[in-house]
Amino acid sequence: MSEKIGVYICHCGSNIAGMVDVEEVARWAKETFPEVAISRDYKFMCSSPGQELIENDIKEHGLTRVVVAACSPHLHEPTFRGACQRAGLNPFLFEMASIREQVSWVSTDRKIATQKSKALVEGAIRRVVYHEPLEPIAVDIHPDVLIVGGGVTGIQAALEIADSGYHVYLVEREPSIGGHMAQFDKTFPTLDCSACILTPKMYSAGTHPNITLLSYSEVEKVDGYVGNFTVRIRKRARKINEELCTGCLLCQEKCPKKIVDDVFEVGMAKRKAVYVPFPQAVPKYPVIDTENCLYFQKGACRLCEKVCPTNAIDFAQEDEILTVQVGNIILATGYDLFDCKRIPQYGYGVLDNVITSLEFERLTNASGPTGGKVLLKDGRVPESIGIIHCVGSRDENYNIYCSSICCMQSLKFAHLAHEKTGAKVYNFYIDIRTPAKSYEEFYRRIQEEGTFFVRGKVGEVTDFARTPEEEGKLIVQVYDTLAGIQRRIPVDMVILSAGLEPRRDAKEVGKLFGISCSADGWLIERHPKLDPVATMTEGVYIAGCAQGPKDIPACVSQGAAAAARVVGRIQQKSILLEPVRASVVEEQCSGCRICNDLCPFNAITFDEEKNVSVINPALCQGCGTCVAACPAGAIVGTHFSNQQIMAQIEGLLDLAFEPSE
Amino acid sequence: MSGAAVLDTAPNATAQGLLGDPELWHCIQCGTCSGICPFGYLMDFPPSKMIAALRSETYQKVMAADTVWMCIACSACTTACPTKIPITVNLMSRTKEELLLEGNIPSELQAALENSQRYGNPMGESPRKRTQWIQETDQVPFMGKDTREADILWFVGDYPSFHTGVQPTARAFARLLNALGVNFAILGNDEQSDGDSQRLAGERGLFEMLAEKNARAFGKYTFNMIVTTDPHAYNAFKNAYPELDIRYPAQHYTQFLAERLEQLKPLLKRELQAKVTYHDPCYLGRVNGVYDEPRALLSAIPGITLVEMVHNRSTSLCCGGGGGGMWMDGFQWEKAGVRLSEWRVREAVRAGADILAVACPYEKPRFEDATKTVKGADKLLVKDLSELLADAME
Repeated sequence: MSEKIGVYICHCGSNIAGMVDVEEVARWAKETFPEVAISRDYKFMCSSPGQELIENDIKEHGLTRVVVAACSPHLHEPTFRGACQRAGLNPFLFEMASIREQVSWVSTDRKIATQKSKALVEGAIRRVVYHEPLEPIAVDIHPDVLIVGGGVTGIQAALEIADSGYHVYLVEREPSIGGHMAQFDKTFPTLDCSACILTPKMYSAGTHPNITLLSYSEVEKVDGYVGNFTVRIRKRARKINEELCTGCLLCQEKCPKKIVDDVFEVGMAKRKAVYVPFPQAVPKYPVIDTENCLYFQKGACRLCEKVCPTNAIDFAQEDEILTVQVGNIILATGYDLFDCKRIPQYGYGVLDNVITSLEFERLTNASGPTGGKVLLKDGRVPESIGIIHCVGSRDENYNIYCSSICCMQSLKFAHLAHEKTGAKVYNFYIDIRTPAKSYEEFYRRIQEEGTFFVRGKVGEVTDFARTPEEEGKLIVQVYDTLAGIQRRIPVDMVILSAGLEPRRDAKEVGKLFGISCSADGWLIERHPKLDPVATMTEGVYIAGCAQGPKDIPACVSQGAAAAARVVGRIQQKSILLEPVRASVVEEQCSGCRICNDLCPFNAITFDEEKNVSVINPALCQGCGTCVAACPAGAIVGTHFSNQQIMAQIEGLLDLAFEPSE
Repeated sequence: MSGAAVLDTAPNATAQGLLGDPELWHCIQCGTCSGICPFGYLMDFPPSKMIAALRSETYQKVMAADTVWMCIACSACTTACPTKIPITVNLMSRTKEELLLEGNIPSELQAALENSQRYGNPMGESPRKRTQWIQETDQVPFMGKDTREADILWFVGDYPSFHTGVQPTARAFARLLNALGVNFAILGNDEQSDGDSQRLAGERGLFEMLAEKNARAFGKYTFNMIVTTDPHAYNAFKNAYPELDIRYPAQHYTQFLAERLEQLKPLLKRELQAKVTYHDPCYLGRVNGVYDEPRALLSAIPGITLVEMVHNRSTSLCCGGGGGGMWMDGFQWEKAGVRLSEWRVREAVRAGADILAVACPYEKPRFEDATKTVKGADKLLVKDLSELLADAME
């Protein structure tokens, strides 16, 4: 073997060196393998001097292969490949051994950790010999962008991209964009009106020449890859001709059928069968809810048709299927509210006047069911109100995470409830978490307003009175952990500050777009700190609450961040993809087609004439599923050949079986 | 009770032991346990404060207090705990264990535990009287005497065997078994207390002794499954005996009957025009998740209207008998001046029920007593599910 290999063992500060004898690994590599020309250990291989070390060695010693033993290749493989490239070595003649994630972080015995590091390094050395120089694949980037979800995050992202001069398809499942923010009354900590700051953005999104707004629509299928996605969208029939409709809403006014609005008004008010969810809806066109429309259900009525001044009612209208080409996708699909019925001891759904945070938002909203009056179910004004924090959050029975917005939301509720009713307000909390600009100041303000803070998570809410004073009240039974006593506090209204949960269909949405969810169900970002809006799938970004609970400022920031990433990508015009691809050796392919259906990227088709399977290198993501599945061994994975993998395995096993002292 | 007010800063064994339990370190001091505890308002150290005492290294204060004995092991705290700490079994019972060793224990409980050790039942009855509930017309085969093999081993339990107020429930269940043609037998006088309430009252050693005696009796015969008329016994066989490597499939009788509902239904001919509310026993419902089977059985009785009390299913309010509560009535009355069973009966009255249906042998005498003291409860009947079903067969 005439290769000259450079081996570099990283200390990663004390991350690796604290558990692995890095000097020994470097010494051993040089002594053991004749093809290792240079072997070094260094404090931080990823630093500039660390990279220069590699570059200089390649130039001075004519290295033909490079092995770095450091962290996971997820993090720094591109870094070291770059170093090789700058020194004139093809970047694919490099191999990385993960001795941090796979060794030092998960070991407690220095001797064994050092031994295991050697095994991993030997695997890399044996493998890298068989590496071949490869050239990346360049693909063009389609400048159009798909954004899924028209809440404040999606709107922000859409406007940023559209203002940059690129076209956006903004797809929203509901009849109007606006998301949860459109349901809110005031926003913390400034208490400015939610609608006042949101509706101008909604209007801009609805009228922007670079935005195609597809409301009442859903993405059904996504094919392709970064730069070249083909997306199928179902635009559900509104039964309204949008060309003719002026949004006068005479149809809504005259429609005789009323239904409880479970979506926008969270069950607290009724809407018509032909409706816009709220007056400021964008687009302004109503929707006929065919499941409740008298005409669709019973064949009679058609009153809307009669009153419409522009003949815009179109009962025969059918769903439309649109297919669009886009280069990048942003998912801003938001969250669902925790179902408070899951905590039976809080009485939601059983006790009148135990309401959720979203219900309180509607109650206190000037355009809500009570015109902004905070009232009990029987119309009385509450004299005392209890607000329970952390409902469904910080609770391993439901969601272990902190929903992060509930403290501030609950403080806001305390203010609004007090302001609107003069009621005595209790906030039942575990910890008050206000970690953002002006938030702690807001907490202080709410304290000064005379809110009774009780530190303790409520045990139960009941209407079963034990004393005459409790009669007719909701009794909040709680251990006041600061006073050290169990208290039963009678109140008129209880607001449950419900946590945020991943969308019920987050998993399916993730699958549709080729990304995954974390254990608690949120869509996963590429890196929690350094790459928060990208995902492991190139060209697919996430923003806002789809990624995890967030308040409005954070959602807007993420929407803008995702937009910036996408615009940056578009401006590169083309992108280099890793040449790690599968290919079929036609002479060996028996035409069994087993691989055809296995490919998660639909990259494999069948050539009927030649009777062989064919892989489209642009679609292939190099996952290797087909390579492993092919019974004839006819599929080759570039950079993951059998020879390379077997050599690596042999290297790994060579040492592992040596008894450690 | 020990009134040791002296602050001993030397670490005591209990605190050391409990601090070794990583689950207790998860506590976020939210106080849910102490808030939901039906007797939390009477405890000097409700669960969260016990953990706070551990962390502040002042656990000797907990050991010097006697209010841990207000815990009736109802598991409301454990069920609601947001960090899933097994409070009832780990924190409460282990503390009771240590209190017991130090002699800080109500004397009535002490007596019940001694009875359990001496006679195999907490009421101190002669073991030879265990089968006296059986009357001539009852067909109840005995293991050993009548057979050595049966499909079902029916573990009757202490209260259905000895307590005159509860014995009718055993006779009713015998009738149901016979009507369904079940091949069953009981242990007879070989049966010992299942020991579960003694365990939860802190007497682990006694529990192990009783379990081993029962295991020896089980081992003598061949059967496919244990069915028991006592949720505490069911909990023991399902969750606690396996820790001692005593493993038998077990069911509570409501589960057993619910599985045979199609066979049972045609037998339930007699109408019962009554509003019935069902009390979920802690060790059937909250602890073992059996909520639907008893309700399905009740619903199968013609004429019955099922109504729910304020606290139902997982939020059910304990009758006060668990974890040794059955044997601390005097002690707890002194502290509380009220019984949990009285609150529960008030709930049944408010629900508009004619009958309070129960499925645990502790409950019948407790609730029956409470109907005598709670206003408006004098017409409320307390019936075990087995009695209601057997009555409907006539």
